[in-house]
Amino acid sequence: MADHAPLPAAIADPAPTPDLLSSCHVEPIRVPGAVQPHGRLLVLDAATRRPVARSENWPPDAVPAAVRALDAFPWPELPPGAAPSALGVWTLDGARWDVSGHRTERHLLLEFEPAQPTEGNEAPIYSLTRVFLPCLQDAESVQALTQLVAAEMKRLTGFGRCLVYRFDEAGHGEVLAEAIDAGYDSYAGHHFPAGDIPQQARALYVLNQFRLIADANYIPVPLRIEDGALSAADIDLSQAQLRSVSPIHLEYMRNMGTLASMSVSIVIDGKLWGLISCHDHAPRFIGMSTRLACEHLGQLLALQIRSKEANRLVAERLALRQLTLQIVAHLADSDATLQRLVLEPSLMLRVARATGAAVVRDDAVWSVGDVPSDADVQGLAQWIAGLGQEVYHSDTLARHYAPAASLPFTAAGVLAVSISQVHRHLILWFRPEIVKTVTWAGNPRKNAIAEDGRIHPRKSFEGWQERIRGSAEAWSDAEIGAVGELRQALIGIVLRRAEELAEVAHELTRVNKELEAFSYTVSHDLRAPMRHIAGYVDLVVDSEGKALSPRALRYMTNVKDAASFAGQLVDALLDFSRMGRAALKQRAVDTQLLVGDLVRELSRQEPPGRQVEWVLDAHYPAIHADPLLLQVAARNLLGNALKYSRGRDPARIAVRAVSTEAGDGLEVEDNGVGFQMQYVGKLFGVFQRLHQAEEFEGTGIGLANVKRIVERHGGTVWAAGEPGVGARFGFVLPRREDLPDPNPTDTLPPPPHGTL
Amino acid sequence: MLKPILLVEDDKRDLELTLIALERSQLANEVVIQRDGAEALDYLKREGEHAGRTEGNPAVILLDLKLPKVNGLEVLEAVRADPALRSVPVVMLTSSQEEADVLKSYQLGVNAYVVKPVAFDRFVSAIADLGVFWAVLNEPPPGSLKALRHNEQP
Repeated sequence: MADHAPLPAAIADPAPTPDLLSSCHVEPIRVPGAVQPHGRLLVLDAATRRPVARSENWPPDAVPAAVRALDAFPWPELPPGAAPSALGVWTLDGARWDVSGHRTERHLLLEFEPAQPTEGNEAPIYSLTRVFLPCLQDAESVQALTQLVAAEMKRLTGFGRCLVYRFDEAGHGEVLAEAIDAGYDSYAGHHFPAGDIPQQARALYVLNQFRLIADANYIPVPLRIEDGALSAADIDLSQAQLRSVSPIHLEYMRNMGTLASMSVSIVIDGKLWGLISCHDHAPRFIGMSTRLACEHLGQLLALQIRSKEANRLVAERLALRQLTLQIVAHLADSDATLQRLVLEPSLMLRVARATGAAVVRDDAVWSVGDVPSDADVQGLAQWIAGLGQEVYHSDTLARHYAPAASLPFTAAGVLAVSISQVHRHLILWFRPEIVKTVTWAGNPRKNAIAEDGRIHPRKSFEGWQERIRGSAEAWSDAEIGAVGELRQALIGIVLRRAEELAEVAHELTRVNKELEAFSYTVSHDLRAPMRHIAGYVDLVVDSEGKALSPRALRYMTNVKDAASFAGQLVDALLDFSRMGRAALKQRAVDTQLLVGDLVRELSRQEPPGRQVEWVLDAHYPAIHADPLLLQVAARNLLGNALKYSRGRDPARIAVRAVSTEAGDGLEVEDNGVGFQMQYVGKLFGVFQRLHQAEEFEGTGIGLANVKRIVERHGGTVWAAGEPGVGARFGFVLPRREDLPDPNPTDTLPPPPHGTL
Repeated sequence: MLKPILLVEDDKRDLELTLIALERSQLANEVVIQRDGAEALDYLKREGEHAGRTEGNPAVILLDLKLPKVNGLEVLEAVRADPALRSVPVVMLTSSQEEADVLKSYQLGVNAYVVKPVAFDRFVSAIADLGVFWAVLNEPPPGSLKALRHNEQP
């Protein structure tokens, strides 16, 4: 039902009246079948150039004269769909007419308006170029530009009120500038709801950028169709300057006290950026030359705005890129973990002009500024990650993500980038709610429904204020672009770090190989001389023993023992090194069997007659470990208990199952010689001994092996003792469910009993 | 006539001690000594300096792992690859008990792997046992199926 509107044209609130509204969108505004009375329309068939329709305001005898004039006319090129071209001043029946023409697919449309006196060099278009254009170039902002244009438009047309307004993303109009005469209401700063101009009317504004309604009280002149095959609906008046508008729109104008209106579209990059809209309390006709100047003014404004906005965008992008570079530089200097970002709070917030920011890495959150709780940030991050977008932004988060409704002070708006598609690694920026007070030109929700059921446009255009809640300041394209670039840079850094790590791993492999080679050499080359010493000493003793004094013989024995011991030390050291290098082959190990076997085996090795009382638990846990290494550790602990309780009769050795928060394990307690707790830290060191070698044999590496084995499994060892009373050694290894699985493919069931 | 024992050893002290140990084990076999892997292979294949030696394979090869030029594992590999030599028993004598060496030796088909003990008396008994087992008790007819099977399943 509504036509195009220079100002609120129709019904605002779609919700309560969907059926009525829908009629608005289907009204045939392009094919109204009528024209305004200030001119005449003649429609020719595009192919035959014969008249097929005309407006009813042609005197019957004028049409043949016009057709004759047409036949003689040298037609310029009129491409279908182009805006009307001026075809000059024609004299018909003694009257002078400004004629313009344009083509649709099927027809030629010729519009005749009474000619205005010629202005020559004084034509408005010249003053526009000469005087106004330089002023326009001096304007510093879009606001200043529009102010100049409003004043110039008013000067050109003489309308009582000229407004320049801009549409936001949602289609609401905001008045940026106005020029008014005394007696006209001011609309400066007012907003017009998007619903005031239906979609199809907006489309028409892009196509036909000039529209004049010279008198809102006009009586439309219908078209007379002279070709029986046609109806009014076949005559497309989209581009016609005389096109008649919706009667509802005219009522609307009269409600406003506006009898004449004119509008010029501001189209930037094919989009309706805004409108220059003029109104007058009295009917007002605009001649062809002024109209031309108005159209040019609209195009000039569009060009200027485009370049101003492009400049602003470039400047903003440059500034943000600087910040992005700084952030990246800081990060590249560090270990490049994402949480480093929050160590530069100022940069981090400025890059997106945010009040809060957070880095989420899986289950961890690092934040800066005003942000929701960690749990809320995690919830949001999970939701955003689920969207699968590289960059997500919203200035009305609660409308898309309901939990944000409770976070207006921190997260009414969010801008987020996902760094990894595999892991939940995100960076989020937050903006708080800004409660906006919008002054609408009349309450947009109050349209009158009259008794006849028709909707009448609202009658009041007095300022009506509304508080808009739940939204943050919108994220600009430059800000969204900047965090997108930051994301790319971060991914670059992360990738580079991964490469560096791979290099380190490679280096480590190399070093490990070297170590292996080293221990290999040690095992061969260090053992050989020990063997030679022992061998030759034996030969001396065997062949020359009788010639040697008892003292010399004892010396030789010492030499041989020392060499043997040195050999053992080398072997022990190699074992220890192997313990650290061998790959862990972990599985569930039944320690019930392990303990039982070890107790039997070690008991057999004890000299006959020795009394050992074993105190064993009824049950031992299954431990997730490398079976061989676990056995080495347990054997060491049990062996030590036997060794250091050698002087006790009976020796009493308890082997207990241990289960703590940290995992499961074993503890061995003896009633042997014990040790002083002050040396407990030395016990687990390599070649550390707390007893003299003559007292207890051994290389001093057993407990170091135990510790290394336990720690390679991620477990802990402990020791307690008291001299002369006994000692207690134990360990626990983490349970399987507590471990980050090192071989996720290893899903073999635990082996049957007795694999040890 | 008994086949000789081939001893491949580069270290002169180890060589002396091993020879003494063999002597004490009272084996009648002649002991042929080679000081590196390349020479040992020349001897076995009757090539180079040893082209003119009398035909016949040794009863057993006692092979040190670490050898100049061609190491023990490489000698073992070459012996097992040669149809004329593959049935000769090979015993690896070494200072090393590195798992990788043991594994590799068995993969290449060694008959026994002996880590030389530091204590001389144990060394003597180990060598004596080896000599008796491989040179006397277990003397296989060269190339016999039985020996072949034994070699492949040490």
